[in-house]
Amino acid sequence: MNVIKIDKKTWTEGIGRLQGFYRLIGPVKDGDFYQFKALEKGESPDFSMLNTRLSPKSIIYPQSEVMFEYSLDETRDDCHVIKEIQVEYSPQVVFGIRPCDAKAFLLVQRNFETPEYKDPYWIRLYETTALIGLACNTPCSTCFCVDAGSGPFNDAGLDILLIDAGEYYYARVNTAKGEKILKDSGWSEETETKDAELAIENLKQAAENRITARISTDRLKEKGVPDLFNAPFWEDVAFACINCGTCTYVCPTCWCFDIQDEVRGTDGVRMRNWDSCMYPLFTLHGSGHNPRDAKTKRLRQRFMHKLKYYVDKYNDGIQCVGCGRCINLCPVNIDIRKICEAMNGFEPEQKSI
Amino acid sequence: MEYMGIEPGRIHFSWISSAEATKFVDVVNEVTSTVKALGPRKSFVKTPLTTAKNKAA
Amino acid sequence: MLSYNEKIRHIAKKILAEGKVEIVIGYRRGTLPMINEPCFIKHPEDVTRLIWDRHCGINLTNYLTQRKERIGIIAKGCDSRNIITHIIENKIKREQLVIIGVPCKGMIDRHKIASQFEEEIQKVKEDGDKIVVTGGGIEKIWKLSDVLQENCIICTHRNPVIYDELVAEPVAEQKDVNRYEDIRRIERLSPAEKAEFFDDLLASCIRCYACRNVCPLCYCDTCFVDGSQPQWVGKSQDPTDIRTFHFLRAFHCAGRCTDCGSCERACPMGIKVRTLTKKLEKDCLELFNWEAGIDLEQRPPLTTYNPNDPDDTFR
Repeated sequence: MNVIKIDKKTWTEGIGRLQGFYRLIGPVKDGDFYQFKALEKGESPDFSMLNTRLSPKSIIYPQSEVMFEYSLDETRDDCHVIKEIQVEYSPQVVFGIRPCDAKAFLLVQRNFETPEYKDPYWIRLYETTALIGLACNTPCSTCFCVDAGSGPFNDAGLDILLIDAGEYYYARVNTAKGEKILKDSGWSEETETKDAELAIENLKQAAENRITARISTDRLKEKGVPDLFNAPFWEDVAFACINCGTCTYVCPTCWCFDIQDEVRGTDGVRMRNWDSCMYPLFTLHGSGHNPRDAKTKRLRQRFMHKLKYYVDKYNDGIQCVGCGRCINLCPVNIDIRKICEAMNGFEPEQKSI
Repeated sequence: MEYMGIEPGRIHFSWISSAEATKFVDVVNEVTSTVKALGPRKSFVKTPLTTAKNKAA
Repeated sequence: MLSYNEKIRHIAKKILAEGKVEIVIGYRRGTLPMINEPCFIKHPEDVTRLIWDRHCGINLTNYLTQRKERIGIIAKGCDSRNIITHIIENKIKREQLVIIGVPCKGMIDRHKIASQFEEEIQKVKEDGDKIVVTGGGIEKIWKLSDVLQENCIICTHRNPVIYDELVAEPVAEQKDVNRYEDIRRIERLSPAEKAEFFDDLLASCIRCYACRNVCPLCYCDTCFVDGSQPQWVGKSQDPTDIRTFHFLRAFHCAGRCTDCGSCERACPMGIKVRTLTKKLEKDCLELFNWEAGIDLEQRPPLTTYNPNDPDDTFR
């Protein structure tokens, strides 16, 4: 693992050079907030953001994605044959991913790339994409990444981590993909790795000290599923919930989708669209029966999945990276930190929170 | 409907009694001629699926 | 408005203790600045959780739909109008409710403030007719009247129109409000410009349906966008399907919308959803002289026929 120093004066030049090799994506200000967008020629990623409104998960896992196409035209030889869609996957580089969002890709990978099952759409995009992170010097008051197994300078899931140190960036290279990008960019000012690591460590400490949002997850594992499932606090925390999909759609780790066919004339496609466990239709059976027929049950499912089922299944922390988006964007202020505390501290004989 | 950007003349409402055959013919002629004059809709038309494929990818 | 707290808690405590209601629906302090959480209180000793300030913009009528118990509910002007609509539409019975009316001077627009503040907002304080916002080492002060929700700025029903208890003297209603300037501006555009305007307006929609779900009018068991037999609308991010959702939802609110602004407040992407519903609200006023949720006895214009109804669109 080596670190190089990038003089900010050479930054745009390097971006320009990379544009010759890759499709570049980065945060840009779009109206009132920041979004990840494809960078136009000569455009640089805007690093003045705290974070983007929506997570970068859609770069690898688009909200709507066509998987198959078919024709209903009986004069054609391939009529009624479902064929995988042909898509050109050109290499792309994403700039300015926050460490929490980078870690989220690793969590989502658990779902799309398992020993038994491999999702070709997600994997192809993931493999052709390089992730260049931007360490958080000033985490927000709703960031609880440290307690969610990440951190403002965490480089898990990143090919390169950039650290803003005033006049220049430190770039810590983690993968061969990252090496290649640095070579293509022409940024190559070597630096004494030991000194650089020391400087990074200081910035990291300063950033971690700024984190005020804490959650406890240490006792989630030992709780009984039925105890938590039947806990009395759900009615209280779910009351305000309007069952919209905001929390799931802005979440970098929510991975559920729904498959739909759309036909126009004789042309048809089969696509998948993000779905949300907050919606009644998510679990509606063909028979008309709905096992999660009330909003309290749906809200409980979301938090039980993230903070209990996932914890039990993978034994590797919670299915949340602490980015704080759901807290900031929930229309009615349902706060995962509060619910996590309630779950972690729950004792079965306890009557209410 | 006009507020959404649909041109005036594309949508018609009419009350025609079953006894008013001539009015029916007149209205149908008028509707078809005004809509033909406007030509095909440009907005509010779904992009054909084949070109809409994975634009986000 | 901060002084309302004591009175609200007092009334809530009284009606709970006397057994007049089983729950009181109100707000409790949020975990972030500029947002409070709708909540319910069951026990008289818990009423201290109830709070009232300028961040209670979510319409509480949404939480009444089909409830069976006797309920105390805190209602500002717009909430009270939606309660009337709810009663007319048989979603709740008047006898079930003790309405705690709150004269309202407008709610703060959290999107507006956030979009004009570069750092993270850590504290928001009301100071007379000013609002002081601090965060990330900077402080900004606005005149309250400049950062109210757009619907509050043009509100003409700040006082509850129906209530059992009133927490304070009614506030002065705003007169000579120019309610529809923005709508008229759009009406003047050419069809092509209009289509483009709405393309831009809805471009960032993620179909989370927060606008629909936060709306007290949207209580259908299965919304037309969710139904699959038949499937009226595609479920992808196709712009035409997104527009179809927004326009048709607005149509379903015609003659019922009170312009409470919850939809706009809820939208995580800050889309000005009221641009659609307000047009229909304006039409109902101009064509039928109708304002929703004012009178329990009068039938809404779209459920009645009046020989004087305008029929210019018919030939």
